[in-house]
Amino acid sequence: MLGIDDPWILAGYALCFISTAIGIVYGILKWNEV
Amino acid sequence: MVDQTLFWAAAAVYSVVIFFLAWLGYKKTKCNDDYMLAGRNVHPVVLGLSYGATFISTSAIVGFGGYAAKLGLGIIWLVMLNILVGVLIAFIVFGKPTRRIGKKLGIMTFPDLLGKVYKSDFMQYVTGLIILVGMPLYSSAVLIGGGRFIEQVLDVPYLWAIIGLTVITAAYVVFGGLIAVMYTDALQGSLMLFGMSAIMIITLSLVGGLDGFQALTDMSHLVPTGLASTGMTGWTSFPELGSATWYTLVTTIIMGVGIGVLAQPQLAVRFMTAKDGKALNRAIPVGVIFILITTGVAYTMGALTNVYFHDHFGKISVEMTGNVDNIVPLFIDTAMPEWLVVMFVLALLAAAMSTMSSLFHVMGTAAGHDIWVHLRRSNFFPAGLRGSDEDASKLRVNKIGTFIMIAVSLGLAFIMPGDIIARATAMFMGLCAAAFLPAYTVAVFSKNPSLLGAKASLVTGGVAWGIWTVFVHQAESSVLRVSELITGNPSVLEFPWTVVDSLFIALPLSVIAMIVGMLIERKRAPATAEG
Repeated sequence: MLGIDDPWILAGYALCFISTAIGIVYGILKWNEV
Repeated sequence: MVDQTLFWAAAAVYSVVIFFLAWLGYKKTKCNDDYMLAGRNVHPVVLGLSYGATFISTSAIVGFGGYAAKLGLGIIWLVMLNILVGVLIAFIVFGKPTRRIGKKLGIMTFPDLLGKVYKSDFMQYVTGLIILVGMPLYSSAVLIGGGRFIEQVLDVPYLWAIIGLTVITAAYVVFGGLIAVMYTDALQGSLMLFGMSAIMIITLSLVGGLDGFQALTDMSHLVPTGLASTGMTGWTSFPELGSATWYTLVTTIIMGVGIGVLAQPQLAVRFMTAKDGKALNRAIPVGVIFILITTGVAYTMGALTNVYFHDHFGKISVEMTGNVDNIVPLFIDTAMPEWLVVMFVLALLAAAMSTMSSLFHVMGTAAGHDIWVHLRRSNFFPAGLRGSDEDASKLRVNKIGTFIMIAVSLGLAFIMPGDIIARATAMFMGLCAAAFLPAYTVAVFSKNPSLLGAKASLVTGGVAWGIWTVFVHQAESSVLRVSELITGNPSVLEFPWTVVDSLFIALPLSVIAMIVGMLIERKRAPATAEG
C-alpha cells in the first residue's frame, strides 16, 4: 500500500491513527464527567 | 540561509509576545505555589498544548527526525508509543491519581511527591539528585538541537546561537515561573502544530506526493554497507529481527523513549497544575492530536529527505552531512520556501524553548525546593547562611537554583560531541524510567506504599542503569571510555548485550528490587505487630 510493503510499518501507522482516535473519543465522552 | 530582515522581523514580533506572557506570569505569581504549579488552575487546552510542547522538543524533530533519515520509517512505532503511553496511559492511568495526591499532600515537585508519599527525606534528596545529574543531559541535547538549527539557517555562530537561546528562555522561567512557562508553551505549541502541518504538505509535494513512499522503497539498494551489514533492509521496512540495527531501533529509540516518558519529572508536574480531574480528560484530545501531527510529520519527513536529496544531489541523507543532527536543518534550509523556513525556525525555537523552560524549572526547583530548603535545616550550615522559612525566601531560592542549573546546561552543550541529540534524550528517559517508574507507580496506586521497596528500587534502578551504560551498552560506553581504561574493552559483554539498551536491564531489576523490598517489609510488619 502506498509503496510500503512491510506490514510492520503499515501496522505502526495504523496504530498511530487508532490511538489518536481513541484519545479524541475518550476526551469527548468524558468531557463533563471526577 | 534565509532573508535576514524577514526572519528578524518575525522573531521580534514573536519575542514581544513571549515577553508579554512572561510579564503576565510575573504579575500573576503572587506566592510560591504559583511559581511552582501555576496556582493549580490551568485551562485544559493550555494544559494539553503545554504537555505536548514540553514533551516534543527539537530533540524529537531534529534528533529523532535525523534518525528517521538514517534508519527509516520503523521509528513510526515511537509515534504510536508516544500517543498510547505518553498521552493516553500517562493522563488516564497516572495523571488523575497524581493530581489528587498532589493536591491532598500539598506536593510541589516530583521529588516532593516521592518524599511525601513515602514520608522519607531520603527519597526526596536522591530523586532530586538524580534529576540534577541526569536532566542536564537532556536540556543540553535540546539546546544543541536549537543551536545547530540557528547556525545552519541564520549563519549565526553556534556559540552565540546557544547563548542567545538560553538567555531568552532563562529570562522568562526565572521571572515568570510555571505560569509563564505554560502560557508560552501554549503559544509555542500552536506554532509547532501549524509549522509541522505545512512542512508535511510541502515535503510530500517535493517528493511527488504519496508516490514518494514508492520512490523511497525503490531506494533500498542504496542503504550504506555499514548499516546493511548490521541488519538495515531499507527505509520503508523494519530492520532484520535480532540484528544490531534492530536492537538499536527497538530497545533504545522506540522503547527507551516510548516507555521512559512515563516517569519524566517535568511531565508529572503538569498533572498537578490541573484544576480537577475533568481538566485532565479534556486535555487528552488536544494532547493526542498534537503528538500525532508533530512527531508523525517529523519522522515521516525525516525518512523522505532521502528521496529529496537523492533526486537533487544524487546522495542519501547521511551522505549529505556527517552529523545525523544536521540532516533536518539542512533539508529545511535547502528544500523549503523562505516563508516556511522562517515559520519553521520559529516553531523549532518554540519547541526548544518550551521543553528547556520546563527542564530548567524542574532542575531549579529540585535544587531549591527539594535539596536546599531541606538541607539548610540540617547542621551542615551555620545559622547565618540558612535564610528564612518565609515564602518569599523559598521563591528566591528556587530562582537562584534555576539560574545555576541553566548555567550547567549551557556548559554541557559546549562539550557534547555530534550525533548526540537523540542519544542523550534516550539516556535521560531510560534513567528516569529505571530509577523512578516503580516507585512512582507504587506511590500513586498503593494504599500502603513500601518505603524499603521504594528505596531499593530507586537505588538499584539508578545504579544498574549507570553500570550498564558505562560498561556494557557500546553506544555510550565506547564514548565514555571508562570501561576501556579499566578492562581494556569498550564493553565487558558480547553481542547482543552490547546493543541492548540500559533501560531493558535496569528497569526489570528496579521492579524486582521493589517487590523484594515490599515482601521484606511485609514480613517484618506482622512480627512487630504481634511482638
